[in-house]
Amino acid sequence: MITAELIIPILAATVQSGTPILYATLGEMLTERSGVLNLGVEGMMIFGAFGAFLFTYFTGNPWVGLFMAGIFAGVLGLLHGLVCQVFQGNQVVSGLALTILGVGLADFLGTPYVGVATTGFTPFEFPVLSSIPVIGGIFFKHDALVYLSYTLPLIFWFFMNRTRWGLAMAAAGEHPAACSAAGLNPVLMRWAGVFFGGFLVGLGGAYLSLAYTHLWTNNMTGGRGWIAVALVIFAFWRPGRAVFGAYLFGGIMAFQMRLQALGATLPSSLLLMLPYALTIIVLLFSSARGKGRAAPAALGVNIEPGE
Amino acid sequence: MRKLFGVLALVALVAMLGIGTVHAAEKQMKVGFVYVSPIGDAGYSFAHDLGRQAIAKMDGIETSYVESVPEGADAERVIMNMARKNFDIIFTTSYGYMDPTLKVAQKFPNITFMHCSGYKTAPNMSAYFGRIYQARYLAGMVAGKMTKSNILGYAAAFPIPEVIRGINAFTLGARSVNPNVKVHVVWTKTWYDPATEKEAAKSLLDVGADVITQHQDSPAAQEAAQERGVYSIGYNSDMSAFAPKSHLTSAVWNWVPFYTTVVEKVRKGEWKSDHYWWGISEGVVDLSPYSELVPQDVRALVDARKAEIKEGKYKVFTGPIKDQSGKERIAAGNVAPDDMLLGMTWFVEGVVGSNE
Amino acid sequence: MLGFRIAKRQEPLQWGSFFIFFAALALSLGISCLLLAIQGKPFMRALLLLWEGAFAHGYSLEDTALKSIPIFLCSLGVAVCFRMQVWNIGAEGQYALGAVGATWAVLTFPDAPAWALMPLMFAAAAALGAAWAAIPAFLRLKFELNEIISTLMFNYIGMLLLEYYVYGDWKDPASFGFPMTVMFPDTAIIGSMFGRIHWGAAVCAVVAVMLSVFLKRTRLGFELMAGGENPRAARYARMPYNFLVMLVMVLCGALAGWAGLIETSATLNRLQPNVMVGYGYTAIVVAWLARLRITSIAVFSILLAGLRVGVENLQLELQVPAAFAGIMQGLLLITVLAGQFFNWYEIKRVSGMEGEVDTPGNSGNAGNAGNASNTGNTGDARNAVNGGQE
Repeated sequence: MITAELIIPILAATVQSGTPILYATLGEMLTERSGVLNLGVEGMMIFGAFGAFLFTYFTGNPWVGLFMAGIFAGVLGLLHGLVCQVFQGNQVVSGLALTILGVGLADFLGTPYVGVATTGFTPFEFPVLSSIPVIGGIFFKHDALVYLSYTLPLIFWFFMNRTRWGLAMAAAGEHPAACSAAGLNPVLMRWAGVFFGGFLVGLGGAYLSLAYTHLWTNNMTGGRGWIAVALVIFAFWRPGRAVFGAYLFGGIMAFQMRLQALGATLPSSLLLMLPYALTIIVLLFSSARGKGRAAPAALGVNIEPGE
Repeated sequence: MRKLFGVLALVALVAMLGIGTVHAAEKQMKVGFVYVSPIGDAGYSFAHDLGRQAIAKMDGIETSYVESVPEGADAERVIMNMARKNFDIIFTTSYGYMDPTLKVAQKFPNITFMHCSGYKTAPNMSAYFGRIYQARYLAGMVAGKMTKSNILGYAAAFPIPEVIRGINAFTLGARSVNPNVKVHVVWTKTWYDPATEKEAAKSLLDVGADVITQHQDSPAAQEAAQERGVYSIGYNSDMSAFAPKSHLTSAVWNWVPFYTTVVEKVRKGEWKSDHYWWGISEGVVDLSPYSELVPQDVRALVDARKAEIKEGKYKVFTGPIKDQSGKERIAAGNVAPDDMLLGMTWFVEGVVGSNE
Repeated sequence: MLGFRIAKRQEPLQWGSFFIFFAALALSLGISCLLLAIQGKPFMRALLLLWEGAFAHGYSLEDTALKSIPIFLCSLGVAVCFRMQVWNIGAEGQYALGAVGATWAVLTFPDAPAWALMPLMFAAAAALGAAWAAIPAFLRLKFELNEIISTLMFNYIGMLLLEYYVYGDWKDPASFGFPMTVMFPDTAIIGSMFGRIHWGAAVCAVVAVMLSVFLKRTRLGFELMAGGENPRAARYARMPYNFLVMLVMVLCGALAGWAGLIETSATLNRLQPNVMVGYGYTAIVVAWLARLRITSIAVFSILLAGLRVGVENLQLELQVPAAFAGIMQGLLLITVLAGQFFNWYEIKRVSGMEGEVDTPGNSGNAGNAGNASNTGNTGDARNAVNGGQE
């Protein structure tokens, strides 16, 4: 039933569908590598999607919207940082509260904008590369944000492993005391982690309202933020596997729809369960294997004042 | 001369009394609306709200609304609140409000309740809906004529009768002009989720559909069709602004005539509980204006059929009609009764997909 | 830096929680009013309407009370889990499964008399809800699978499962194809106890008492209260840590399941997808605000139920979006979290020379069974991520 000519469109749809998840996963990964667990990804993502839509609507420029999405989500990240780093709040609960707040804010502020369309990013064929058989069709006929997302894992890896700031951030996540001893400020590193991590999550949200569609609604993210949180664990906190995970999920979401389009008679309720069930299965596999690749040692533990 | 004056004076007096009586009958009424989604959605609730805005302009009518009310227990409270605040007429515009509306109606016998897309009534509660399937049929004819691949895509929301009925009507219309057409259905289980709905449309496009239509409220499916350079047909309101290069027409609602009639009936004391199901003839449903993409001959064909439906000469669900498995459901020459339409859960021949 | 130093208290404040909550409430209301002002709504009137809608009239109180019943039950369960630092956010899914279980009982034995059907419904709801919680618990214990993710995914799956049945086999043939079951027979409907308040309120009272007795008077309960403090210590206690984790999850699943049953039976009288209104998520907020103090849970349940009910008044009168309630809840939680800082730390002035470093001992911890560790410094969040114990 899945004919050959359907494979390339499914894979192309996989890339598109996985892109917002990839942004969000890398963003949360950055935050967690610096030692902060931020469960507010879903709230930050939708708030970012709203910010992107709002500013694009008023300025007509999607790049402005994109940037503001990052800022909106980054600000929520800073709020989380405030509660956890300054007020020593429990990171798990603070993140949950952030989700509730972010979702509520986006809904509240965004109600007047439901049903409106704006400009956004539109797909275009990447020069030269899009004519490569097969690969061209899958990867190079998308919009600018997708192309941008291709560079992110590399940038992430390079930053965390080859730059001073990145290594400092990783140190803040592994062993804050050692970090201070080396003369770097782990608290500052974590502030950077929540902000820039949040920024990336916001970009993922922006993708939904500026590129994937040019519309906005209050439940656009549909659980993608939570899937991103799970994927960070699945990816063992390394960017490479994050790509694989994000596209896997994008693929499942795209796949179940195409099954329906082909006329499959499975009840849609069951098909819709696939992404969520898969999240658990995927995590089971990573738990079973991941003894050597654990979380950053100081993840979730607040740095006490005076430490 | 004096006689003429006398007559004129008499006429003036009667006229003034007449005007006076008309004004006296114009009593203040509060009319409330309960919506299931935001009114800005250019969709279902938006269409209802246009109706509300029209009656708000009537003399002595004051309206209010609550949007995005979840169906279930919360709805009951919202309706109850309105009832306590002495609204005279309350319109509840989604099927999930049926039981809550009935419960409140039983407690407030002096208030008129109008419930949309359900089937329960009470002495002070009516059920109403619109025969949007007639517009769907006509849209199907347009699609059937415009398609080259003979595959039509339908992004559908929830497997409930009104959606299934629409799909069936669309299919019947398409196949009446093009018997080789197949309509593929993808369920999104959403009323307004652009990302999911766009993905559904893309899936349909991937399997070869070249005309996309939808039963959700967001124009995402239209966007998808435009991006691929194929045709699209909208729903609820004219969606041409969202996809000018692909939009052919839309199946639209127009609640103004119905709401106006209800308000006037209540005002005059003539209202009684009933099932209302108005269609093209009464002006409640229609096709939005054709875009330039639709050629003249197609327009003429569809308009002719529309006139027939309008005059009651043609009924959409006239047999022989078989279901997906080939079993005949409506015999040749028979017209499906309203009850069967209201409870329709099976697909007609030509629809590809699951009905749940 | 600025002449201040943050020092950890030797003993956490006892009365602090009360004061902190009110300060947090004030701050949350203030920020919410700011948001309303941004949207051009009159915020003073909004606050009055909020109050009026929730508590001012007899029927408002009834509405609020009715809404607080399912929130209360879910919150009890979630609070018990949080006490053990088991981050169960799956109350929503467990609620759904409870509703499914109860419906199964009704549809399978429609002619059973009430004295048999009701208990069966309660049993089925508890069983399915508990099972739905037990699976993530098992996955955590055996595979170290993060329960935050698994319970959340189970929420989505649980809701879809409910939809599957209601759109499919359980659909009422007379409902014109709409996704709902038949109306429950009278034997399956939880009747009214007092006015509009149904017997679900009595269930709440009974559960509250039993839970209280369990936690304070049984050894198992005692270890549960202490177990979350220090998993290592719990290992040496009578009950193994794993058993306690499973116990709290199962308990929460059963309670949330009962909430689902009550709403389906008493409020809707049939099963429909819109039985899901988000009580499971509200329960998380209540559980954190109230900790495992049962009276506090009751108070906060009523408060948050009142918030939801009051917001509907705002919707009707001022066209304020319903999301306002979500914002208030989020803000409340965040401000309380931030405020609890002052329970554990104090700000001391530094005069002249740098003062000596305060001993950052956790000494105040052990004696406060009623005031759970709330700083998360024991690595609980990291445990949450890894899903395992130390």
